[in-house]
Amino acid sequence: MENTCKDCIYYLPVDVFKGLCKLKKNTITPDDPECDAFEWLAKCKFCAKFKLESNYLGKCHDDTLVYPDLNATHCTSFEWKNQN
Amino acid sequence: MSDATISFGQTTNRFGRNPSETIEQREEKPQPGVRAKTARELYFETKSSVSMEFPFWYTRRWEELEGEIPMVRRGEALKAGFEHLTPVIYPGELLVMGKASYLRGSYPLPWLSESFFMAAEDKLYKEALESGKLTADTFTTVGKGGGNVTKSIGNVISIAGKFGLRVEEVPVMLAVARKWKDKSVDDIGHKYEQLVPGYKEKEAIMRSVICMFDSGYTLPQGREVINYYYPLQFGIDGMIRICKEGIAESAGFPDMDRIYFYQSGLKVLEGIQKWILNYAAETAFLAKIETDEKQKTEYNEIHDRLTWISSKPPRTFHDALQVIWLFHVAVLNEDAISGLSPGRVGQVLYPFWQRDMKNGVIDKVRTVELLECMRMKFTELDCFASMGVVGGVLSGNTFNNLCLGGLKKDGSQASNELEMLILEAGIRCDTPQPTLSLLYDEKLPEEFLLKGVECTKIGTGYPAWVNNQVAMEFLMGNYAHEGMNLEEARAWSIGGCLESSPGSWMPLELDGEVHWIPGGSAPATSVGVHFLSLPKILETVLFDGLDLRTGERIFPSHGRKLENYKELWISFKEYFHRAVYVLTLTNNIQHDAWRKIAPSVVNSMLKPDCLKRGKDIGQMGSRYNTTFNIESTGTANLVNSLASLKHNVYDRKNFSLEEYREAIKANFGFKTAQETGSFSLVDQVATEEYHKWKRIHKMSLEAPKYGNDDSYVNDIMRDWENWFCTMGKDFRSLYDQPLYACQISVSTHGPMGAVTMATPDGRLCGTTFSDGSVSAYPGTDKNGPYALFNSATCWNHSLSQNSQLNMKIHPSVVKGREGSRKFLELIRSYLRKGGFHVQFNIVDSRMLKQAQEEPDKFRSLLVRVAGFTQYWVELGKQIQDEVIARTEYEEL
Repeated sequence: MENTCKDCIYYLPVDVFKGLCKLKKNTITPDDPECDAFEWLAKCKFCAKFKLESNYLGKCHDDTLVYPDLNATHCTSFEWKNQN
Repeated sequence: MSDATISFGQTTNRFGRNPSETIEQREEKPQPGVRAKTARELYFETKSSVSMEFPFWYTRRWEELEGEIPMVRRGEALKAGFEHLTPVIYPGELLVMGKASYLRGSYPLPWLSESFFMAAEDKLYKEALESGKLTADTFTTVGKGGGNVTKSIGNVISIAGKFGLRVEEVPVMLAVARKWKDKSVDDIGHKYEQLVPGYKEKEAIMRSVICMFDSGYTLPQGREVINYYYPLQFGIDGMIRICKEGIAESAGFPDMDRIYFYQSGLKVLEGIQKWILNYAAETAFLAKIETDEKQKTEYNEIHDRLTWISSKPPRTFHDALQVIWLFHVAVLNEDAISGLSPGRVGQVLYPFWQRDMKNGVIDKVRTVELLECMRMKFTELDCFASMGVVGGVLSGNTFNNLCLGGLKKDGSQASNELEMLILEAGIRCDTPQPTLSLLYDEKLPEEFLLKGVECTKIGTGYPAWVNNQVAMEFLMGNYAHEGMNLEEARAWSIGGCLESSPGSWMPLELDGEVHWIPGGSAPATSVGVHFLSLPKILETVLFDGLDLRTGERIFPSHGRKLENYKELWISFKEYFHRAVYVLTLTNNIQHDAWRKIAPSVVNSMLKPDCLKRGKDIGQMGSRYNTTFNIESTGTANLVNSLASLKHNVYDRKNFSLEEYREAIKANFGFKTAQETGSFSLVDQVATEEYHKWKRIHKMSLEAPKYGNDDSYVNDIMRDWENWFCTMGKDFRSLYDQPLYACQISVSTHGPMGAVTMATPDGRLCGTTFSDGSVSAYPGTDKNGPYALFNSATCWNHSLSQNSQLNMKIHPSVVKGREGSRKFLELIRSYLRKGGFHVQFNIVDSRMLKQAQEEPDKFRSLLVRVAGFTQYWVELGKQIQDEVIARTEYEEL
């Protein structure tokens, strides 16, 4: 799965169509491909406890509904999964 | 013979001389500072966007706490929502924090209602349609431009014709919504409202759009004034301490329900603290990666401010402004809310500002800059609701009304220097929010009033001018039995667009000195019967209880032949009364479901005397609780129609009632507004049948009209108002209090007009009603402004929560210093006659026509609708046409 701007810690959403890069200060879209400054944002889809069940839905700890793009920065049980 | 477009009089309705050939621009005004200008440019490029973050965490925590006391469960769920919100801080901001992780962010609240945003094919949606809940949606037009996401594009799905949602969040939105099926306020309320005898009549009323919407699950809070006293005086740690003390005092005692409220409040405050600290952490991150030294310093200052106020009371004006903003957002995040007014902010924050000025911490330039930033933050607010509500009622607005002037606790005039700067910021940074209202009192200084006029003249419709004494008289009449006295009545303010709301004086102590600051002291002052279409009820009277559009029976046959005016009038009152009766009962049930399932926690903690009593606002913890009302729409059309019937059918006998009925069915020989796409009378298309009905239509148009100081019509208006303003006492609200009249149209005159056939005043099928409640129908006020004022004040405005008068004035009339003085005298003369409210569009109607044709060139054009200011491009065509058609005064 390719990373896009919305998966990056430098992505500042303005609206559902676009955002700003916190680092480069330019306007970007959430679906733009990652650049050389890309750094993963903690999201459910990058969590070791996340299991994808359908296109945009999954489970946390095998029992709780979550969605892959949920920001997990403030989730106390977030754990990075191996990105390789 | 082919169809022909007929113009009723001029292309533009005018009073006075003809304007010059070229379109008159509004008077030149100073521009906002660079910071606000940049923020506004970004805003103009931004679309309304929703995210699922808050509702996801709310619902997750709610489910985890199955079996917990509902009040505590609610507090825990809100806490989870707050502490997981992703912070978003935009470059150059001096005030930070927002509802959701977008600039114009909002989110669904499925615990209130989940059906309207489900996919159209979904069963929930179909059930909602059947019950009449969504009929208003189908007759509402939403603005096609500006920030509205009117259709789905690429990875973005459009909801309610306004909001965009990323496609990757659609499945979770539906999954979360389904979790609330049969558990939401909407569903539980619906389950029990069906137990009301005559419930089927309620459904028919909703399907016919005689009533616009239920308030219990759509906008259960709002149309009220927030109270910022507790966080300003005690800080969040202080509020937590109050909650802990409350728990200790009530645990185990007979009234121990109090502990659940305090426990809930405690949890939410912890969530709000974490939310603030998450923002602080984000500023630290931004400062770390920032290369611009000035911006880095600002991030660090914001970090320091947020860290401090996450626990302690504000130290400075800037701190205090940030505190009131974050608590404003915190309240908005607990419910779907429109019209949460900040109230008399200039008086609330004055002690902080005065101290900073004295100590050299701030100057006027910086103050205006901060106030401009505040305007941008309020403008960025969105309220997620159905199309019928967000388009048909709110026109995308959120109605945060900031009030100025009025009187102090001791009866002296209350305006101050900070309020002058609030007006200045409103002139420079002209944006829809917060709208401004000036509480006019004879004691206010001339300089302040002229500053208000200077602001109104820029053409954005604010400040609206509101009569302080009339409002106080209403409040004394409505709340005396709950302890309101003259001193407390002076603390009032406008909640929402124009709802008079009670307040209290709270003792803010700063440096050992007590400052009595005003703030809201009641829950939503506009819930209940929302809105009743007066012309549509008259239609059912004329057709013996039937909705002519659908043929459905709404009310039982009245069985009268309507042989005289008295019979007609009695029948109208009977049907109106029936509608209010059943809607009051069903609304009480919905609001009861709301207070049990999703009670207010944040707002309750702020409102005196909830924290003191340990009761939320749903349990009447507020000081004042007589807050349910009956809202009306289409007053001038009703009065003009009654006048036409009386004149043409009963007095002059120009034609029979049966002939009138046939003419109405035939739409007087015209195409309907839906067919032509034109929603005012200015341009309409006649059919081949026109000549058959021409005589009746002409006589209908020529019958006496409201707004011309004609006693024939004024008497009808007075009869209606005297009855309407007292009939609310026949009913009891959820809080066992009588109801009162509320007379604002907001945007409902668009969709409600759309479902109403032609009316006896000559208005055509589907066209928009008159706006407000004492505004004239466009083009029918032909005797000048003072005649309109006499008509509008033919009844006692203090009997009602409000009355609403909109006027459109050509910019050339009020130009320059001389124009300002003339304008102030005009306003004064109306308020001195006892008028409650007047607001203005200062615009050349031809500019509005041009803006309708070339919207891209008019992104920043603001107009006044009915109690609110909105970007022209974000208004639906029903309302645009009506604003264009309003009578334009070319001389005063």
